Amino acid sequence: MAANIKEVKAKDFNVERSAEEDRELSFKDESCVGCGVCESICPVGAIKLGSVGAIVRNDIDESKIEIDEEKCVLCGMCSVGCPVDALEFTVDGTPISEIETYPKLISSAEIDDDTCIYCKACERACPREAITVARQLPDRSKLVTGEIDIDKETCIDCGICEEMCPADAITIDQKGPEDFDIAVDKDKCVYCLVCKKACPVDAIMAACRTCSYGEYDLDPKDAEVTGKALIDDDACVRCGWCEEVCPVDAAKVEKPFEGELNLDLDKCTTCGACVDVCPCDVLFFPKSSAPGTIDDKLMKDEQFCIYCGACENVCPVEAIDVKRTGIKCTPTKSKSWQKSIDSLKTN
Amino acid sequence: MELKVNQDNCLGCGVCVVACPVNVSISPEVSGGHGSKTTETIMMVENGVIKLFSEDKCTKCGTCQVFCPTDAIWLE
Repeated sequence: MAANIKEVKAKDFNVERSAEEDRELSFKDESCVGCGVCESICPVGAIKLGSVGAIVRNDIDESKIEIDEEKCVLCGMCSVGCPVDALEFTVDGTPISEIETYPKLISSAEIDDDTCIYCKACERACPREAITVARQLPDRSKLVTGEIDIDKETCIDCGICEEMCPADAITIDQKGPEDFDIAVDKDKCVYCLVCKKACPVDAIMAACRTCSYGEYDLDPKDAEVTGKALIDDDACVRCGWCEEVCPVDAAKVEKPFEGELNLDLDKCTTCGACVDVCPCDVLFFPKSSAPGTIDDKLMKDEQFCIYCGACENVCPVEAIDVKRTGIKCTPTKSKSWQKSIDSLKTN
Repeated sequence: MELKVNQDNCLGCGVCVVACPVNVSISPEVSGGHGSKTTETIMMVENGVIKLFSEDKCTKCGTCQVFCPTDAIWLE
């Protein structure tokens, strides 16, 4: 509980203010990428970035940041600066991201359900495993049309059709040495005619109508895939992989920072700490193009960089320089807050 | 967090000495697999086992731990 009491009394005026607020700061280690923005923005030096390289690479059970509770003045600046929403600051139970007077980094990631074709390309590409595509596939039986019938009198119970059917649509129920039932599941059959061709006694009568009568028998609406693409906001870091890989431009990402990522390959010793720590899969070691050749030691896909600076912090030999040139933020009336936010820019 | 070693586990292979990016910048010859000629490096193999010399220079990147085949060097 922080009390905010001001009282100024003089001969001609009387200014009083009293406010009691419940201010609370909480930290989600699993969302934290170890960028150190909170450490740099904290006005009282209460936050210390941990040994992120060792923690991430060796799965050490330790928090990525340390907060000195004695020093923290519960201002909420770290929460505003955090590009991945790992620090949440609430005033009387309301997160300051929902309070207009506080500034807020502008960033978003959205997948438009009307455009999405549920191909799961984004789900596979997302370096944070933040995307889940839940999809409902069409009924297979509604995508094909045809006829099939097995003449049980001719059938010799050899089982070849059952063994060969790629759709597992044929089942033989062996009741006794010469007593059996054979059935085709028409929901599974795709009228490929493999059974008909393989039957040694021509007991199967089957025809596929898909090519000749498909447009009469089938409704194109039955072939539609429906679903929903969900982004886990706690895990998403707005890197833009989903936007890049989406074949129908359904994903839109806005990043909070603009900047530059520079690698000094003369200094790099290829220890790989940056590659392991980068939350966006920006940095990678290239494969050698031919035996006996060495290409660049370390490469980058800068379009996915969020300029968080985690790689620069973890590099033991200062081979990485992350410049932040722009910060997208909602306006604030407080000059000191604006100054703090601007201090994240590196010029 | 501190850099620790267990000499009982160490094979003396020297992979950590070579892999450590700080060692390489202090003493480039160690990156070629030659024994370091200086105790300025963080660690070195001495008498067949790993020994820490200047652990205060460690930036805690975790590379030695990633490469050590016998869990003889780690951060804790």
